[in-house]
Formats: sequence, C-alpha cells, structure tokens
Amino acid sequence: MGKKHQTPLLDELKKGKWISFVREIERAAEKSERTEDLLGQVEESYRDKVNHWKHGGMAGVKSYGAGMVGRFSEFPDKYPGIKECHSMRIIPSAGFFYNSDFLRKLADISEKYAGGLLNFHGATGNIQVLGMSQAEAEDVFQAVAELGFDLGGSGSDLRTPSCCAGQARCEFANYDTMKICHDLTEEYLDELHRPAFNYKFKLKFSGCANDCVASAARSDLAFIGTWKDKIKINQDEVKNYVKKLNVQKYVLDKCPTKCMWFEGEKLVIDDENCVKCMHCINVLPKALRSGDEKGASILIGAKAPLVTGPRMGMMLVPFYDINEDAKNDYEWLKGLISNMWEFWDEYGVSRERIGELIGRVGLNTFLEGIGLEPIPEMVGHPRSNPFIKFTEDED
Amino acid sequence: MTDETKKKVEDKIVGLVKEYAGKKRFKPIDIVKEMEKEFASEGLTKDDIKAALKEIMDEEKLVYGYAGGSFLALPENQ
Amino acid sequence: MAEEIKKKRLTDIGPHDYNDYLSPMIKKNYGKWAFHEILDPGTMVHVAENGDKLYTVRMGSPRLVSGSFVRDICDIADKYCGGHLRFTTRNNVEFLIEDEKNVEPLKKDLEKMGYNVGGIGNIIANIVHTQGWIHCHTSASDASGVVKSVMDELYEYFVEDKLPSKTRIAFACCLNMCGSVSSSDIAIVGTHRKPPRIDAERLRNLCEIPSTIAACPTNSIRPDTVDGKPGVKVNEETCVFCGSCYTVCPAMPIANAENDGLSIWVGGKVSNARTKPTFSKLAIPFIPNDPPRWPGVVDAIKTILNAYKEGAEPGERVGEWIERIGWSRFFKITGFPFTKYHIDDFRLAETTMNYSSHTRL
Ligand code: HEM
Ligand code: HEM
Ligand code: HEM
Ligand code: SF4
Ligand code: SF4
Ligand code: SF4
Ligand code: SF4
Repeated sequence: MGKKHQTPLLDELKKGKWISFVREIERAAEKSERTEDLLGQVEESYRDKVNHWKHGGMAGVKSYGAGMVGRFSEFPDKYPGIKECHSMRIIPSAGFFYNSDFLRKLADISEKYAGGLLNFHGATGNIQVLGMSQAEAEDVFQAVAELGFDLGGSGSDLRTPSCCAGQARCEFANYDTMKICHDLTEEYLDELHRPAFNYKFKLKFSGCANDCVASAARSDLAFIGTWKDKIKINQDEVKNYVKKLNVQKYVLDKCPTKCMWFEGEKLVIDDENCVKCMHCINVLPKALRSGDEKGASILIGAKAPLVTGPRMGMMLVPFYDINEDAKNDYEWLKGLISNMWEFWDEYGVSRERIGELIGRVGLNTFLEGIGLEPIPEMVGHPRSNPFIKFTEDED
Repeated sequence: MTDETKKKVEDKIVGLVKEYAGKKRFKPIDIVKEMEKEFASEGLTKDDIKAALKEIMDEEKLVYGYAGGSFLALPENQ
Repeated sequence: MAEEIKKKRLTDIGPHDYNDYLSPMIKKNYGKWAFHEILDPGTMVHVAENGDKLYTVRMGSPRLVSGSFVRDICDIADKYCGGHLRFTTRNNVEFLIEDEKNVEPLKKDLEKMGYNVGGIGNIIANIVHTQGWIHCHTSASDASGVVKSVMDELYEYFVEDKLPSKTRIAFACCLNMCGSVSSSDIAIVGTHRKPPRIDAERLRNLCEIPSTIAACPTNSIRPDTVDGKPGVKVNEETCVFCGSCYTVCPAMPIANAENDGLSIWVGGKVSNARTKPTFSKLAIPFIPNDPPRWPGVVDAIKTILNAYKEGAEPGERVGEWIERIGWSRFFKITGFPFTKYHIDDFRLAETTMNYSSHTRL
C-alpha cells in the first residue's frame, strides 16, 4: 500500500544523522491512520511556507477549564483525519522520572484514541498527547486517570509546576525540588484545573543557581536553591585539581566577587562575600560542596516577550527556609502566594502577568500589598534619581 | 453557604453569560469579583463563589472558552 | 455485564507520586549524592556518599515522538535499567543504569537502532523548540524542520566535547516564545514582518473588541466603524508584527508566506554561574523561510559557533565571550551586518532591580 499523501519536502528531513521527527510522524501513522493527514498538511505548509491551522474553537473535558488545547485543520475535507487535532496536557511525574510500564500504557492510549504522537515534554513540562477529537477527549482523560495521572494547566490559570531532578540525582541540589513541586501541585490542583487568574502563573524549582529548569527566565515565581553558611572545602581534592587544571585562572579569576584565594596550597573562601553562583562548585565538584544551612532564593516576575516585553525573575526573598516551612505544610509560603494572588486579582488587568503588574505599579506598592519589607537584596543598586515621593506614613 | 444561596449565585452567573452572549466575554476572575460584590451582604467569600462556579461547570451549564485568556461560554455556542 | 456497572468518573486526582518511579538506588541515595563525573558526551556517573554508582546514558529525542519510539526506549530500559528512565528539561532521554556492565551494551543497542547518544558536557544540547507548522496557528515558521536541519549539520557537537562551554540553542516559531528562548546562547525566533489582516465580518462574530485592543503592546489597535458596524483598525506605522492580537482575535491573521521568516539572537544565559542571567540579543533580524532545510539559518548558526569556538576561552559561554570581546568585534568577526533594527526602540524595563539570585547571606 502506498502512502496516502506524497511528501517530497518532508522526505528530505528523513535524511541526516539527527533523529527525524518526520520518521516519528510516519511511525505514528502506521498505528494511527489519521496521522497520515498530518503528514499531508505539514507537507502543504512546507510548500506554501505558512501554517494551515485554524484559529478558534475549543476543546476540553467536563468541569476542567484547562488541560487541552484545541486545534482544527484549515482543510478538514482534504485532511479529515486532523479535522480536529487537539492536544491534551498531562501532569508529569516530578523530575520526569518514569518506568516502562507506565510509558507503554500511555503509548497504547495515544494510539487507541489519538494520533499516536506524544511530546516528552511540552515547554511547560507537561506530557502531551496529540491528535484527538473532542469526542475522544473524555476517553483519553479517563484512561490516563486510571494510570493515576491528571491533566495539567492551560489558559489563565496556574500552569503545571516543574522542577529539576534535584536530590534524586544531583549532588548540587540544596533542597528537595521534586517534593515541593509535587506538594504544591497537589495543594493548588483547583487553580490548575479551573482558570481564575488574570493570566497564566508559573512555578518552577531548581535545586541550585545552575537553574536547569530555566526558572529565572520563565516562571512567575522561581525557586533557586542556595545556602547560608560556608562552602565545604576538601583541601586534598583541591590539591588534586591543581595538578591537572589551572585553578587560579579558571576558577578563582572567574568568581564574580573574587572571594576566593590561595594561602600557600590552602584554598580560602570569604563566604560572606560569596553570592552562591555555583561556578567554583561546578568546576571542582569533588573538592567543594555547598553548606549545611540550605534553602532557596525566591525570584518573581519572569516571563516571555508578550505582551510588554520579556522579564527575568527578580529577587524577592533571598533565603526561604524550605525544610523548616515544609514541617508546617508550607504555611509561610502559602501565605505569601495567597497574598500575591489576592493583589494580582485586585489590581491586575486581563492578560497581565504578575511581573508586568509590578512594573506598572512599582515594587513598593507590590511589597506593601503582599506584606514584605524592602531590603537591599532586591535591587541592583539604590535609586540614583532624586524624585522621591515622601509619604506621611513615616514613623 | 446554603444550597439556596448557592443556587442563587449559580443562576445569576449563568444568567449574565446568557444575557451578554456574543457581546462580552466574562473572564472567570471578573465574574468572581462581581459576585463577591453582589453577594457581600450575604457574607459569601471568594471561595464560595468559586465553589458555585465549579458546580456550574460540573453540571455543564457553562463551559470554559479560551482566546488569549480564559472566559465563560455557553455550551451550545462552542 | 461488568461494563454496565457505571464506573465512577475519575477527576482531580492530582500529580502522580514520583516515588513510584525512582529506582532502588535512587531511593536509597536520595539527597546523598557526593559528586559526579562526565565519562564521555553520552555518559556520566553519579557517586553517592556510600560509594554507590549510578550511570546515566543520555540520548537525543525529537520531542515529538511516536508510540513506537516510546516502546523502543521502554525495551532498552527493561533490558538494562530495571525499566527506569527519565527525560531532561531539554527533551533528552536518560537511561539510569545501576550496573556498570550494562553501560556499553546499552549504548551499542541504541546506536544499532539509529538513536543519537550524547549531549553531556561542552556540547550542543538538544534544541528546545516549539510546535511550528505541525501544531500551532501562530507560527511564522516550522520548528521541527529547522531544528532537524541545524542538528544534522552540528551533529558532531552533540556527540563530541569540543566547544569552550555548553551551548544552549533554542527555537520558537513566534514571539510568544513558548520555552525560554529569550535567554539562550543562540536563539532562533519565527518573525512576522507584516501587520495583521482584518476580516471585519468574522471579527464581529469571533472577537471582543476591548480585549483585542488591550492585546496590543504598542497601542496600534483602535476602534473603528466598518460598514456602519463596530470594528477595529490597525495603525501600520506603529505595529511591530508581534501577533498578540491574533492570539486574542482569530479574525486578525498575521501569517504571511512571502514575509515570514526567522531571526537569530545570541548571548543569553539562564544559569547564575559566574555572571548573572541575561537575555539573548539580536544578531540577525531576518532570514527568509527556506524549507525543507533552511540553509540560511544553518549557515548563520555555524558562523556563530565557529567564531565562538575560535575565540572563547575554556568555560566561557557565548554571551560571556561576546561581553569580553565586545559587540562591535562580534559583528566584525561574524560578518553579520549591523542595521537599524539592532538598536532597541521598544520600552525598556526598569534596570535597577537585582535580576538574579546573587545575594550575600
Ligand atoms: C494560541 C496561542 C498559543 C498556543 C497554541 C501555545 C501553545 C503552547 C504550548 C503547546 C506550550 C507547551 C505547553 C506545555 O508544555 O504544557 C506552550 C508553552 C509556552 N507558551 Fe504558549 N501558546 C500560545 C500562546 C502563548 C502566549 C500568548 C504566550 C506568552 C505571552 C505563550 C508563552 C508560552 C511560554 C513562555 C511557554 C513555555 C512555558 C514554560 O517554559 O514554562 N504562549 N505554549
Ligand atoms: C526650581 C527649580 C530649580 C532651580 C532653581 C535650579 C537651579 C539651578 C542652578 C542655580 C544651577 C547651577 C547652574 C550653574 O552651574 O550655573 C542648576 C544646575 C543644574 N540643574 Fe537645576 N534648578 C532647578 C531644578 C532642576 C531640576 C528639576 C533638575 C533636573 C531634573 C535640574 C537639573 C540641573 C542640572 C543637571 C544642573 C547642572 C548641574 C551641573 O552641571 O553641575 N535642576 N540648577
Ligand atoms: C557540572 C555540573 C552540573 C551538573 C552535575 C548538572 C546536572 C544537570 C542535570 C542532572 C540536568 C538534568 C536536569 C533536569 O532535566 O531536570 C541538567 C540539565 C541542565 N543543566 Fe546542568 N548541571 C551542571 C552544570 C550546569 C551548568 C554550569 C549550567 C549552565 C551554565 C547548567 C545548565 C543546565 C541546563 C540548561 C539543563 C537542561 C539541559 C538538558 O536537560 O539537557 N548545568 N544539569
Ligand atoms: S538546578 Fe542545580 S540541583 Fe538542579 S539539576 Fe541542575 S545542577 Fe542539579
Ligand atoms: S559560589 Fe560563586 S561567588 Fe561563591 S565562591 Fe564560588 S565562584 Fe565565588
Ligand atoms: S512559539 Fe508561537 S507559534 Fe510557536 S508554538 Fe508557541 S505560540 Fe505557537
Ligand atoms: S501585531 Fe502586535 S503590534 Fe501589531 S497590531 Fe497586533 S498586537 Fe499590535
């Protein structure tokens, strides 16, 4: 049997050493016939240099306002298999750890009810099952739920939180990223499923300043592992490194605060001036380890360009004692988040991310609103212009 | 919140969406704020309103729509 | 019949407990890892305080995968890893191996099956990317095809450690930038160059005028009367072709076959190591779409990478290298023309905050 659609342009992309997504779509089409039409439409896009998806139209499962993204072909008659080609977002297992039993069953579901195509993972970190119709959505949802998995966020809601592998497989992790990610997802499940925000809100957890989940660039609230006390130094291992590496040039000279030096053969660190950037530990992992008083910095407001330009996360809480707060079921953090959401609900406008709101009303107004005091860690430097608005509320 | 007040809130929300269908897209957040004001005298909280909204969705009297942001829609218009 | 007993509908069950998926060695050493070593670009070993060794083999993935792909990796995981595996943030597959003897056979099996092993160390990691023509209506270009074309050409840098530092490339097919493109060593971004077209008829049925107006970052959308009925008009002088209005209003399509293409951005970074996180900056404002292989984009990436490889010191990320040598030399070395588009004329966010986790405790 020949192919349903000729795809000379896509066929070009089956050549070469890197694994081919075209081949993957073809393999999916072998199991789920409708996906042949996806190949046909994408080939047409390659010819026309423009996408052929229609905008508008919804998809969802009962009672949830999130977890599915609707997608409709522009040419339903020509490509009936993808007339409806919706995707479903599934909350991943924290740290993206799985076993073969679950993955096989999920592959079966995707072929039985959808296009046999999956994303591991979407940019937010959801597993995505692609290519189902609205009529099939409930079946996919229930089949996935029987495996113990639920749908993730989409729309104006809390997006599926995500985290790095953390303590499961990384010695750099300063807190249990997977636990807090899991616990807060559970805590805020309603906010994931039932959009009630001005716009999206993201939580991401990285165990150290290497920030492997890019939390500081894309989450409204980023948790970046850090420590309060001294870097632990194994001087024997330092000596071993010195034998094979120019430690002065590649470690000491690159330290952003120049807070490390040698006294004879002994490495000395002025920990009070260390900004916990991880560079020295990255390069000398056997010799250096973060301290014992561990927690996380909380940065706020990162987002992608739309609508008013990209933002990086900015320092809000220099040291959050996660271990202590976890004992009280994250009482402090939940209070902080609830204050933020209240403020955002009250003063934010539609499609305004919390970082944009802070930009609009000013950090001071925001801090007052959520009950935090201004501290020097929040700024790169104090103001340099003299337009001070003195207020009456001085003590 | 008594079942009776809950019913009142639900009817009000569904009524609003019906009345403005095709003219205005109510974002859940705006409805919640609106209802909070409307039913403040009866002592309803934000969580009460959200619970009523959840029930509306469970019964599929309304569904969620999305166009850059989430909004409330009538099932038949989807 | 069993089916007749109506099953209770499952809902709001929450995230799955990850503990179900951790291998015995990971459970035992959770939070007790001592150090790790990169053995080669496809393999690393994590050593626990008690001496346990966990080997990881990393494999590339196109992110968009078939059920058959999933079964392939499951077979490998069953054969060598007790069924345990994970994915990385950048969509790679990682096999978690407790018995060192299994490392080489596993890699051989993967290679036999045509899969790519690599991506650890001073390499080009898998390119994080978006949906493109395969699954998004806003896209100014395809995603997977550009990524495949670039990775085919840069394959050696995925399997061999020969760059000054790790190099993160990311791709987004429109300014929505699903996926933290705005702070990558090299970013490829789909770019529209013409204002949206307004379908007045559909707009009346499909769109809410106030939210459409509010969607525009440059206040370019104004209320208008079309045939005596309410509508909108776009000020083409101020429109920056961002597509935000289309996201809110489907009757304002912006995709345009002749004028859409890609832009290239460089020098961003998320990690706080050494220098603070930074956004990527514009290197090339526009390269036309040229499917199926986008040679213009591939050449541009190669030019940047070669210059970086030549010029950077060991350990220096692309942005750190450019900061050191200066932007004027960057343009000189690469030969990319510096144009009026490289000069920012959009509103600048406040610059005095501490956009980092750097802090003295
Ligand atoms: C109709 C338009 C859009 C579609 C179809 C779309 C689609 C997607 C998809 C499929 C993902 C991956 C989701 C996941 O993994 O769960 C994603 C992520 C993302 N989207 Fe969109 N998106 C749209 C609009 C937007 C807009 C308007 C913005 C920004 C203003 C945006 C910013 C992002 C970002 C930043 C991510 C990555 C999030 C992360 O890394 O955590 N998207 N989008
Ligand atoms: C009623 C209001 C003000 C008065 C009476 C005033 C008066 C003066 C005087 C007498 C000087 C010294 C001129 C000289 O060197 O010969 C000066 C300099 C200057 N003023 Fe003002 N000024 C006023 C408001 C402002 C404001 C609002 C600004 C800025 C926003 C400003 C910015 C400056 C600057 C930049 C200089 C030059 C300083 C220098 O070069 O050393 N002035 N002003
Ligand atoms: C040598 C020390 C390092 C170790 C042991 C390490 C470990 C890891 C681990 C375990 C992951 C997978 C995390 C996940 O998917 O959740 C990862 C990914 C990542 N790391 Fe690191 N990291 C190190 C240094 C760095 C540095 C210095 C940077 C940035 C400058 C960095 C940036 C990233 C990024 C962007 C990812 C996502 C890449 C991917 O998933 O393929 N890492 N790293
Ligand atoms: S962010 Fe830090 S702790 Fe987490 S995986 Fe990356 S290097 Fe390890
Ligand atoms: S963590 Fe960073 S700031 Fe601290 S000593 Fe090491 S290199 Fe210096
Ligand atoms: S970057 Fe833009 S075009 Fe690409 S998937 Fe995201 S919203 Fe769609
Ligand atoms: S494309 Fe962007 S700038 Fe242009 S009218 Fe639409 S929202 Fe405004």
